[in-house]
Amino acid sequence: MAPLPTADLTTLHRADGSATYTHLSHTIIGSVNGPIEVQRRDELPSSATLEVNIRPAGGVGTPRERHLETLVHDTLRSVVLVEKIPRTLVQVTLQVRSLPEEESGGADSSTTASSLTLLPHLLHTSLLALLSASIPLRTTLTSTVVAIPRDGQGMLVSPTANELLRRRPMRSIHVFAFDGEGKLLLNESEGEFGVEEWDEACEMAEEVCCKGDGGVGLGEGMDVDGEGQAQSLEAWLRGVVGRKVEVEQRWRVAT
Amino acid sequence: MAATTSAAQQHPPALTFPRPIFAALSPHPFLQAHLSSTANDRNNSSKAPFRANGRTPTEFRSPGINTGSLTHCNGSAVVRLGNTAVVCGVRAEILKEEDIPGGRTFASTEEEDENEDEDDTEELSTLRLLVPNVELSTGSTPQHIPGNAPSTFAQTLVTRLRNTLLSTRLVRASDLRIAYTPSSAGSDSESEPPQVKAYWVLYIDTLFISIDGSAFDAAFLAILAALRNTRIPRAYYDEEFEAVLCDDDPKSARVLRLRGLPVPSTFAVFEGRDEDGDAEGKLEWILSDPDAFEESVCKESVCVVVDCSAAGASASRKGSTDGAVVRKIEKSGGTVVGREDMKVLVGRSAERWGVWHKALKEQI
Repeated sequence: MAPLPTADLTTLHRADGSATYTHLSHTIIGSVNGPIEVQRRDELPSSATLEVNIRPAGGVGTPRERHLETLVHDTLRSVVLVEKIPRTLVQVTLQVRSLPEEESGGADSSTTASSLTLLPHLLHTSLLALLSASIPLRTTLTSTVVAIPRDGQGMLVSPTANELLRRRPMRSIHVFAFDGEGKLLLNESEGEFGVEEWDEACEMAEEVCCKGDGGVGLGEGMDVDGEGQAQSLEAWLRGVVGRKVEVEQRWRVAT
Repeated sequence: MAATTSAAQQHPPALTFPRPIFAALSPHPFLQAHLSSTANDRNNSSKAPFRANGRTPTEFRSPGINTGSLTHCNGSAVVRLGNTAVVCGVRAEILKEEDIPGGRTFASTEEEDENEDEDDTEELSTLRLLVPNVELSTGSTPQHIPGNAPSTFAQTLVTRLRNTLLSTRLVRASDLRIAYTPSSAGSDSESEPPQVKAYWVLYIDTLFISIDGSAFDAAFLAILAALRNTRIPRAYYDEEFEAVLCDDDPKSARVLRLRGLPVPSTFAVFEGRDEDGDAEGKLEWILSDPDAFEESVCKESVCVVVDCSAAGASASRKGSTDGAVVRKIEKSGGTVVGREDMKVLVGRSAERWGVWHKALKEQI
């Protein structure tokens, strides 16, 4: 079981909302500006315009980043309550700050696998930055990677870059994202697999992302994980938001 | 058509619009009216609703393929899918060994490896032996403004095409290597290993003449058809010239040995709006092979790439009950398609595979 990500909210002072996210030696800074004025050309009469910019760890953006931007954009469009803030712009910028050593091997590292393993981190960062900017959201999201090695033994759930390198080549790699209700929000799978295998991978990802009784109790998740209990990503997210609310309410609590 | 106007005719003073104006003014209700009303109006075929383009939700457009249409390419194809038309040309050029930066070598030229499982994706991707490119011609789609840098749409499409080409391991690196076995005349070692002196690089250019939805399907199938049509001249390293030369005898040219036949199918999910709360029946439809109008009103889309060509060999593979091997699934934009729906979509894609298989076979 991979360790849970760490996240700091509102790390940038100029942006409306920001987040620094570290997981499995990926570090990403996300910033959100919005709702702000939108260019006439991009203005939508009944919903907000979302703009996603992804900056790679080195060099300028390539078509690969455009593809990731499209995926993040399409996913966020169903997460943000775009109808509530029509004719505005919400700008999401994601800067990849560091990648695992195994993946940062020069400009040639643009293999398809590394673009898939980056996707969950980008999604998490963008969500945290949106939360930090207090943009109205419809739901939350959690995302993870499942890799199936060639020998088909033992699915790797949210594998580290080192694990992926050692067990190479993978037969298939899957990225799943679920919304707050546990519905499948995004799926990118590639390689070679059957329907049953995909189903199994999806189930495992669901377990990692949104396992738990779905209770709305705010602070309770944080104490339970002290015993080394495997905690789902959703509980982690709940913890992050809980801490944010705690900080914002401290003027009330303080006596 | 009757369905959409009849609602308006029930209230005499109400506005009536011709069909194209209704579609332009309120695209979403237009499609919803089509999909939900037909159950009542078309009493004889009340089972499946009809879309605005006259197809049922599960109906694909029938493909049209023409290969070998460009004379200056090593391989070419024109694919037509309704109003989506794509031309694809494959041009092979030689990458000399000394031009490879870093002097990287991939030491696997042993004895014409017929090995199916040889992993050459890294070789293909690091040396960039497959270079797909997408160009949208002027007027192909209203969204495309000519004279600008490649749009996000085009860049996304190129990335998806490249990822799919690499992850399905369609092209063999061994087909692209130009190897040279040093002549052992007089030398002591009889069996010196062959050296890779150069590579063929395939420039795969796809030009959209017009886009009416499912651009990825059309582009990938055009590439597939063009690669099947590609003939590469026999190239060899000449010791005396110390250069790679090509044989100009067309008989010595060879075709690429492609691995399998991955076929993509795109689906769009239409979510109806339930404004009065009196919706009867379902409000979501999964439309096969959406056209441009449908893509503009659907948020969620799914693309499934399946390959059934190895059905015999891989029948024992766990999970592939109907012999379909899934090579890629891309789903984004919404939460309608769940695990159960995905299985149905893979089934629909497998059916679609049969159609493309037949269409491609007729070309050869």
